[in-house]
Amino acid sequence: MNLAAALLIAAPVVPFLLALACAFKSVRRVAPLLLAPAAVPGLLAALLVPRDVFVLVAPAPFRISFFLDVPGAILLGGAALLWIAAGTYAATYLAKDPRRGGFCVWWLLTLAGSFGVFIVADVASFYLAFALVSLAAFGLSAHDDTAEARRAGIVYLALTLFGEALLIAAFVMLASGSPQANPLIRDAVAQWPVSPWRDAILLLLVVGFALKMGLVPLHVWMPLAHAVAPVPASAVLSGIVVKAGVIGLLRFLPLGVALPHWGLALSIAGIFTAYYGIALGLTQKHPKRVLAYSTVSQMGVVATVIGGALVQGDSAAAAIAAFYAANHILLKGALFLAVGIAAATAPGAVMPVLGLAGLLGLSLAGLPFTGGALAKLAIKGPMGEGAAGFLLALSAAGTTLLMAKFVVLLRDSAKGRAAFPLPSQRLMAPWIVLSVLALALPFTLYPLVTGERIASAFALVNVEKTAVPVLLGLALAFALHQRGPALPEVPAGDVLVLAERLGPLLARGLAGVGRLDDVLRRWGVAGALLAGLVVALAVAVRSAP
Amino acid sequence: MTVLAAHASPLGLLLVLAVIVPLLGLAPLLLLKARPAERSALVFLAAGLAIVCALCFEVARSGAPLAYFLGGFKPPLGVGLRADGFSAFMLGVTAVVMVAAGLFAMTAPGADKPRMPLAFWMLLLGVWSALNLVYVADDLFALYVALELLTFAAVPLVCLDGRAQTIAAALQYLLFALFGSVLYLLGAALLYGTYGTLDILLLAQRAHGEPALLAALALMTAGMVAKAALFPFYLWLPAAHAGAPAAASAILSAVVVKAPIFLVVRFWYDIASPAQTAAVAPILAALGAGAVVLCGVFALRQARLKLLIAYSTAAQIGYLFLMFPLAAASAGAGVWGAIAWTGGALHLVSHALSKAAMFMAAGVIAETLGHDRIAQLSGIGRIVPISVFAFGLGGLSLMGLPPSGGFVAKVMLLTSAVQQGSWWIAVVILLGGLLAAGYVLRVLLPALQRPDGNLVPVPVARWREMVALALALGAVALGFVPLQPAAFLAIGRPASWDGAVP
Repeated sequence: MNLAAALLIAAPVVPFLLALACAFKSVRRVAPLLLAPAAVPGLLAALLVPRDVFVLVAPAPFRISFFLDVPGAILLGGAALLWIAAGTYAATYLAKDPRRGGFCVWWLLTLAGSFGVFIVADVASFYLAFALVSLAAFGLSAHDDTAEARRAGIVYLALTLFGEALLIAAFVMLASGSPQANPLIRDAVAQWPVSPWRDAILLLLVVGFALKMGLVPLHVWMPLAHAVAPVPASAVLSGIVVKAGVIGLLRFLPLGVALPHWGLALSIAGIFTAYYGIALGLTQKHPKRVLAYSTVSQMGVVATVIGGALVQGDSAAAAIAAFYAANHILLKGALFLAVGIAAATAPGAVMPVLGLAGLLGLSLAGLPFTGGALAKLAIKGPMGEGAAGFLLALSAAGTTLLMAKFVVLLRDSAKGRAAFPLPSQRLMAPWIVLSVLALALPFTLYPLVTGERIASAFALVNVEKTAVPVLLGLALAFALHQRGPALPEVPAGDVLVLAERLGPLLARGLAGVGRLDDVLRRWGVAGALLAGLVVALAVAVRSAP
Repeated sequence: MTVLAAHASPLGLLLVLAVIVPLLGLAPLLLLKARPAERSALVFLAAGLAIVCALCFEVARSGAPLAYFLGGFKPPLGVGLRADGFSAFMLGVTAVVMVAAGLFAMTAPGADKPRMPLAFWMLLLGVWSALNLVYVADDLFALYVALELLTFAAVPLVCLDGRAQTIAAALQYLLFALFGSVLYLLGAALLYGTYGTLDILLLAQRAHGEPALLAALALMTAGMVAKAALFPFYLWLPAAHAGAPAAASAILSAVVVKAPIFLVVRFWYDIASPAQTAAVAPILAALGAGAVVLCGVFALRQARLKLLIAYSTAAQIGYLFLMFPLAAASAGAGVWGAIAWTGGALHLVSHALSKAAMFMAAGVIAETLGHDRIAQLSGIGRIVPISVFAFGLGGLSLMGLPPSGGFVAKVMLLTSAVQQGSWWIAVVILLGGLLAAGYVLRVLLPALQRPDGNLVPVPVARWREMVALALALGAVALGFVPLQPAAFLAIGRPASWDGAVP
């Protein structure tokens, strides 16, 4: 077996085996130290495996196979960096947690699944990896076991399982067009244009993956689940786990076929989500909730880009969407780690932390000369100069505003003691390294995905394009901070709170159905029905030709 | 039918042994004291497993059904025993669950008194012999004997503890099973009077849609449906399966209710014509859908763990009946009908393994807590983590999430439903998975949380938890079955079973 195949297989398998090894107490004791190394094979695979390598792990009829293309490699590499940084951070963050053993198992399983979705090539393995990353992430968000975390966990699981049901229906319809039992994703998608259920498949796919990405109104679980998890877990949940939805859309949508209606619908949902996330995020009082709503908004941007690609039938946009998503992985991961850093910093010493966090936030909005600006420039390509492109560019002003809000909340959250003004080196180091990578790495990827020279990003016209929304946002933030109205805090999960009003109604409905149980378990009823069944069967079989 | 066994197979004696050996195991139990009797029962369980393994191996090796004629007399004079791929499959599944139940019920080496009364071991062997006879008998009267033996061995398992509540449940079970037997016997008598034979293969040749045949099929099917506790005839199941000791519940839920379903398949695919089968299939599927949806909702409302699992059995049985219309169309549907067969069989075995594991895990939980009230299960995951893990893995298969046999089965049934345009079946399958998730997570989520108060656990033997875990891991391992019709199941079956129909 060559190196490329070994690395691709090792990326998801090593963390999975480590999770299994946690069954032994001796491994469990050192598990926090394994979190960062477990993601290293994934990073090596992203760096060393040549593009478009295909590895068949198990021959037909299983056809378990791996495939690393440009979008997959970009997301894999970005995710691996965050997993390593957050893993290092978690080893210190959880040092005193008595239940860190269980946390590490969920972490390693989520890690295995998240690498899996980026690199598997066949439909069944994708569903397996997708289910693994989705369900194991529940363990991370529910770790703290507070009343809030329990509610978040139930909402998350309910929506996730609903999404899984939609996706399996879509996959079965998609796969049944091809002669193999377990087709490759690209072969199955190639059959899509001749499928009798084209629109049904697209609807199920888009809704199933949009749930994972958190497009409005399927975003309700995200502000709940991402805010209640321990800090490093929030970082990977908001940074990486939601990208399972992004890769799902990139892999399963027929991006090479121009589908203007579907593309437009996805773009509208994306733009609405982008602004909705910002608006709701601005009302939040907790820095992690602000970040979670910002993730909702950013995933709206990615959905808009993918929608634009669908309108034009432009499969090259997949790499750009992945690039934007990878930029978000690193920035959002670093921003979440900052929440833990700030909380452990003394109020007097918090300025440098706020400075770096602010820079990360502005990069997310596309501040010129940061990695985020390149991500914003890259998506201008497929979006063009139309209304969608304009609205997306303007949403960066909102992101700036939201990040300003985040920094203010971060300042207020500093609770460290003056004797230890900054948290330990072992927390600071992974955060700072990740932040630097987040700001710098897009520079190396930009030429690869857009095909343009890096110098073009520094051209005055491009600097202007990205600077205007950021300046606009900063001005707005300043104005609002001076004399803005106090916004009422919208409860996290917003529309969910309305949906939960329906809970008692549903319970009453179920109880009504439940009473049927008591009726059916009466002897007289069952006996009469049995006699009825004999007659019904006899009548039916008589009618046969 | 191309599969008439014209002569006995060289190793056909294995069929007789599969039925006789568990019965032979009863003899020493009558003579020995409790502990040696238990050991002797385990020896016979192992012997039975070896015979079934040999039988399955022989069917797979020869690619043809095994056949044996008692006393050398061929039907209609004698009684034929026959094991095709589907029968061998059922024999195998049953053997695995039986041996696991035996290991689970075994007394710990150092314990001073036996865990289970002697009667348990006798009934266990009796149930096994009866089940094996159901799977291999080709004669409707031999099948009647097998069904009666099954009922009379299974019913006392329900009330082993002798409490008034479980005795009432056992009586209810007995009465309803007898209803089923009466309907079956009426049908068999009609057939004998009309065709002069009770051999299934001969009946298939002689019967051509005469009113007597149709009436008999309707009566016998209704009888089997009552015994299988298909919706809406599940009234006896929850109390009976929840009242029995864990090892017995595992057998009852995992394999005993499957035997009548096996016979329904035999009636409609070995005796009736495809057109007749296609005509009744929607009725059976409608009842199946009712089971999946309504019994799933009922399971959500249970307050006790064992009742919840029992209602889940009533719901899961429904999937097997959803298979009928999908497979019935197979004459025209080719490979999509065959995949429904494989999906149904796979659902049957994964449900058997996962449900047995869940009942055993529930038994351990009830033992360590002294109760099985779902509202008070918080933190149980910290006390018996292996059992909760086994329960979770079993639940994974019920929910139809990968990797598990339940997932592959669901994909196969969905594929078949989608290909044949049976959208309502596809929706029921998906809805059933969500309901299963609801009732499994109702137990699993509190189990993973912090304990509410101080739990004072009673210690339980680790290896009993391991038996449950092994079964659950088996259900997970079935998730690696390839997504295509299984050739083994099609051995000796009509051509539609392997999808080779043009």
